[in-house]
Amino acid sequence: MKTLYIILVATLKTLIYFGILMLHVAYATYAERKVIGHIQLRLGPMVVGPHGLLQPIADVVKLIFKEDIIPIKVDKAIFRIAPLISLSAALSTFAVIPVNKNWVIADINVGLLYVIGIAGIGTYGIIFSGWSSNSKYAFLGSLRSAAQMISYEVALGLSLVGVILMAESFNLTEIVNKQGEYWYGMFLFPQIIGYFVFVVAMLAETNRLPFDLPEAETELVAGYFVEYSGIRFSLFYLAEYLAMFCMSALATICFWGGWTIPPVLIKALPVLGFVPGIVWFLLKVYFHIFLFLWLRGTLPRYRYDQLMAIGWKVLIPLALFNIVITSIFKYYL
Amino acid sequence: MKLREIINKIFLIEIFKGLFLTLRMLFSKPVTIQYPFQRRKIYPGFRGRHALVRDPFTGDGKCIGCMRCTTVCPSRCIYIKREKTENKMIVTDYVIDASRCIFCAYCVEACPVCALVLTEDFEYSDYMRKNLIFNKEQLLKNWDEFASKWPHDVYFNKFWQPPGIDPSRWPKTKREQKPIPIKRFIEIKKEESDESSR
Repeated sequence: MKTLYIILVATLKTLIYFGILMLHVAYATYAERKVIGHIQLRLGPMVVGPHGLLQPIADVVKLIFKEDIIPIKVDKAIFRIAPLISLSAALSTFAVIPVNKNWVIADINVGLLYVIGIAGIGTYGIIFSGWSSNSKYAFLGSLRSAAQMISYEVALGLSLVGVILMAESFNLTEIVNKQGEYWYGMFLFPQIIGYFVFVVAMLAETNRLPFDLPEAETELVAGYFVEYSGIRFSLFYLAEYLAMFCMSALATICFWGGWTIPPVLIKALPVLGFVPGIVWFLLKVYFHIFLFLWLRGTLPRYRYDQLMAIGWKVLIPLALFNIVITSIFKYYL
Repeated sequence: MKLREIINKIFLIEIFKGLFLTLRMLFSKPVTIQYPFQRRKIYPGFRGRHALVRDPFTGDGKCIGCMRCTTVCPSRCIYIKREKTENKMIVTDYVIDASRCIFCAYCVEACPVCALVLTEDFEYSDYMRKNLIFNKEQLLKNWDEFASKWPHDVYFNKFWQPPGIDPSRWPKTKREQKPIPIKRFIEIKKEESDESSR
């Protein structure tokens, strides 16, 4: 009876989390079009609903009713599975991400490792889709993506080691709680190098500009999902945005203190203490999403060798340096 | 200088400059004109759909069949059919192939009687290529449509007159060209058409 109850509660939590997440993803596409439009002095979507607010819904309806084309020469089984792998990998990361005090589906002790590991599985979806599509564009896109994601996962993992050292835990809730013990309340300040490495690696990991080589529109049309259409295409799209949210949430939890705000601020302005934690969490996540869009609107795409050079020659040494510094401080202070 | 370059490289000064530029643009006013709902102001001298001016007194076109427009047309898209009676030239058909026209308005400048105009109407796209080949009837109808939308009583376009040529060398009729009184043949209510487009 008790197991049933636990399963039921977990399912309910998951469903609510899923629904809210999907809404966020839908409006992230809207926000992207709006923000980039305004950066380019355009307006973005304006016609569907007031200020184009219903545009994501129209897009969803359009994508669902589009013809699902499967080219003749593709490897059909893998072709069908690939978007599901991407999506499920992107979705399962959210199981351990706490959005508020005790608001988490699975509070496991190796949360951070789990997130990085599952995010790595998303690469399989990309490799499978590129391989099974039997198209040179898709294949090149997936090769690039595999190389990029593998080399940047190293930097991503290493940049988080500093946080782990300071928090002495892999548990995400624990990491947030630990940050509240310091007067500045965020690992952002002692871990500024780690945060920089994390942000750059996060952009590369989610295949966003300026590192969107796997889907470089000008060279590879759309990269690994050229051959996909309709609902399968939208699954890849969904996975990309979910990965963006996942990375933003991770940055928020590991560097920005999650749902807490610095104790100094609360001391200065006690009113802030009464604001629910979820508000702070969402604001920080939205800031990171905005950072993604902002960088996309500003920077041009890096060349492939530049991308690899930044990954191996700059980010990884920086991350290692950060680990050494953090360890020394941790040991002597 | 060397130190400055290193600092620029380490702290990504250039990238931050770019980010601030885009942020500034984000909060500045967009330049978009939302076309079907808002329209750009049309400036004098705009060259739009071709029309033959319908003479408000005779109700027919003013073309005298002098063939100057066909001669001057660089893309050779004007065809005139005419018949000669004892004392008068009668233009039986006047065809402009708008799909070939380059809108140089040389024909308008060359016309001695200001029979031909390029109106300010630009929304005449069509699914059929043959519908863009305007004959005389269609050209007169184009004028009616334009005239019925024109808010003033008379229409005069200073670009009818060839620029850069001394007025004394223009044809007499051209020099003495008066604004054309507008006679509205088709009643189009402006408010109604605006509401339907919204």
